[in-house]
Amino acid sequence: MTAIAADLLVGASTDFLRNFSPFNRMEPEALAFVAERAVLAFHPRGSDILTTEMGVPRHFYIVQRGKVQARQTGATAVTEYASLSLGPGECFPIGAISAQRPSTNAYVAVEDSFCFQITDEEFLQLMQMSPVFHLFCTQYIASLLNQSRQQLQTTFSQRAAEQQTMTTPLGQLIKREPVCVGPYTPTRAALEQMNAEHIGCMVVVDDEKHPVGVLTQSDLLPRVILAGFDLERPIGELMTANPHQLAATASAYDAALEMATHGVRHLLVVDAEGRIKGVVSERDLFSLQRISLRQIRAGIENAADVGALKRASKDIRQLALNLIAQGIGAEQLTQFISALNDALTRRVIQLALERHDLVGIDFGWMSFGSEGRHEQTLSTDQDNGIIWRCPEMEAAEPIRQRLIAFARDVNAGLAGCGFPLCKGNIMAGNPELCLTLDEWRSRFGSWIREPVPEALLNASIFFDFRVLYGNERLGDQLRAWLNKIVKGNSAFLRMMAGNALQVAPPLGRLRDFVVEDDGTIDLKKSGARLFVDVARILALRTGVDSSSTAQRLRQASVKMGVTADEVAAIIDGFHFVQLLRLRAQHLESEHDGQTDNRVDPDSLNELDRRILKESFRQARKLQLRLKLDYQL
Amino acid sequence: MNNWLSRLLTSSASSEPLSEQARRTLAQWAALPDADLGRAHFETRYVVINTEASGLDLDKDRVLAVSAVGVDGGIVAPQDSYYAVLGEQPVSALTGLLQAAGKAPLVVFNSAFNRTMLERALEEHLGLNADWLWIDLYFILPALFPERIERPARLADWMSSFGIETFQRHHALGDGWAIAQLFLAAQARALAQSALSPRGLAELERSYRQYRRKV
Repeated sequence: MTAIAADLLVGASTDFLRNFSPFNRMEPEALAFVAERAVLAFHPRGSDILTTEMGVPRHFYIVQRGKVQARQTGATAVTEYASLSLGPGECFPIGAISAQRPSTNAYVAVEDSFCFQITDEEFLQLMQMSPVFHLFCTQYIASLLNQSRQQLQTTFSQRAAEQQTMTTPLGQLIKREPVCVGPYTPTRAALEQMNAEHIGCMVVVDDEKHPVGVLTQSDLLPRVILAGFDLERPIGELMTANPHQLAATASAYDAALEMATHGVRHLLVVDAEGRIKGVVSERDLFSLQRISLRQIRAGIENAADVGALKRASKDIRQLALNLIAQGIGAEQLTQFISALNDALTRRVIQLALERHDLVGIDFGWMSFGSEGRHEQTLSTDQDNGIIWRCPEMEAAEPIRQRLIAFARDVNAGLAGCGFPLCKGNIMAGNPELCLTLDEWRSRFGSWIREPVPEALLNASIFFDFRVLYGNERLGDQLRAWLNKIVKGNSAFLRMMAGNALQVAPPLGRLRDFVVEDDGTIDLKKSGARLFVDVARILALRTGVDSSSTAQRLRQASVKMGVTADEVAAIIDGFHFVQLLRLRAQHLESEHDGQTDNRVDPDSLNELDRRILKESFRQARKLQLRLKLDYQL
Repeated sequence: MNNWLSRLLTSSASSEPLSEQARRTLAQWAALPDADLGRAHFETRYVVINTEASGLDLDKDRVLAVSAVGVDGGIVAPQDSYYAVLGEQPVSALTGLLQAAGKAPLVVFNSAFNRTMLERALEEHLGLNADWLWIDLYFILPALFPERIERPARLADWMSSFGIETFQRHHALGDGWAIAQLFLAAQARALAQSALSPRGLAELERSYRQYRRKV
């Protein structure tokens, strides 16, 4: 009887698919294969179906009803379209799932949409069994490659232009026509225009377009609101007269100097006749400085030995300190550090590979803990391991010995570059952590089956793994397996939850904060870790592949029915704690102190103290949710 | 009263002893653990139940066919479905339905009719009084999507509002497939409105019914 029902529904799917290419041309058994396996899911308007951050796609989607938009993400566009709409019968992703890599597009439901989906494995099987489908996919990818070649050329010319960096003439940095008013314009009209055009700086010009003054957003509070300025009076009475200006031929460097000297955030750019050409902001200049990141990166990638890398690692540190001083946000900062440390580690591995012949051995270099989460701070010791696959018909032990010798070399190289050896010996050179995929599975499996305290502690370090070098597919397979095993084991998740709840946020009943004996708060133990631990559990429970805390929270919240605002507040809280940690480490390294994660709340200014308190409240909220979910 | 009596009489008249197999299935079903109604949608398997009857008169008409479509973790899979005509073998059709549904929370469209018909058939043929959680989309949909239709409406109206089609209307599984798709949309909207679990949906339905009674 069940068979009859399934046949009816499969028949309905078949009839639907037959209306569209390539399914209408497909071999009957291949079409039946799709229709039998395709399951239906709903995606409300505005929701992400697949993004780059979700990692290697687990599903192949066919739109059944509604509209899905594909948007380019990332720095360089791969295709000529910026966005593309997909309607009923159209499928995605094709390139990413064929190549088993994260999608470069974000797929968002722009209407309430229903999509059929099959798993990535079923997709690959379908490619094998159906020549028609195979041809459809390869032609699609070929057309993408063609587009991307053209795109690459434009990107190269763009990059060549960017290389001029701080010597770029200001004229080239102007992004839009300046918004100007005359000095007799009523202030209200000028402010309304600022608001409508979303600009931070209004230029006041005379009849010949010579700038005579500026009004910026930061002037509004003291001069307008607090001063009770009458908005009907002309803007000429309110503006800052004789604004700072530079010629369009002056360089970005000149502008940075001018801004730093006079403490202003905007500069007016004028032509040879002194007429306004545009406004350059501090932010425009900052985007230029990112190229120096690229230069450090090039330094890493070309380093010939560990000595050269040592210098690069000092550069990374210095850059991080500069960026902290400039007030950059914690999320970007940790991403910078993580990206550069990754590049550094990869180079150390490449250098070691020149001395160790590992050709033909399928392996991946894994990072655990904060490195695995892309959340390194300035004082992070090594947490790494190796995952490998033993070729059939070969003895495992000799290969393992070669991998261990290689790993010890890498561990020593990393130590030389300023990543201290791990005190707990969580390093790839440790034979216990140089395991095959099957061995990792059985290691993880034993922790899940017997969640004793030590196993839970291990899970909190090792489950945040990612593959940093080598065959990423091994890591993906381990992740997919782990998510599947844990999902069906709510007893284990409950134990993890109990463990995560052992430390409460240091909020006091009477005083703002509960401090330790020395008057400080440990921002790692009773701050960041509270967020990290809950995010890990939510990710395991909802099957999120990402290992980063912010991504885990964002992706899991969609399934948990937490609103975007709520999750944004939680993530902001996490990032603020991380920022304070980085700042504390920054101060200590300047004074040559031991870098740890302590902060004395009394040393913070009023604003930071309040934000810290709010951040801990967010952590408490997150914990409370866990408590309710697992009735702990 | 008349109705109750006639049912009692027919049921005792037609009730032959259940076969060994049917009793075993019933015992297996009874031994299943109750569904955890506090779990999130993405961890819950719901079952959309639908019936096909000889007419719309609760007193006179009978169930002709039944269907079940699983909605497991926000996914409808064709393999997780059931359809059977009662015909000559109502016992096997209904025990099959029990096997397909398990003790999952049930989703129907218009429980006043479907639930009543089905419960009566289960009692008549299997002697079963099952205590399920029933969630009625007839009330849930206008509660969640007032911008589409602001009062309880017919299935056809909701299908056209969402552009949902099915392979055969007024067929227990044909309509069940459409109801399952409506329920997918309802789950997503319910998440945004903090009805996160089967119990949350049941509470939403209850408060909407109370609200309808007042207006």
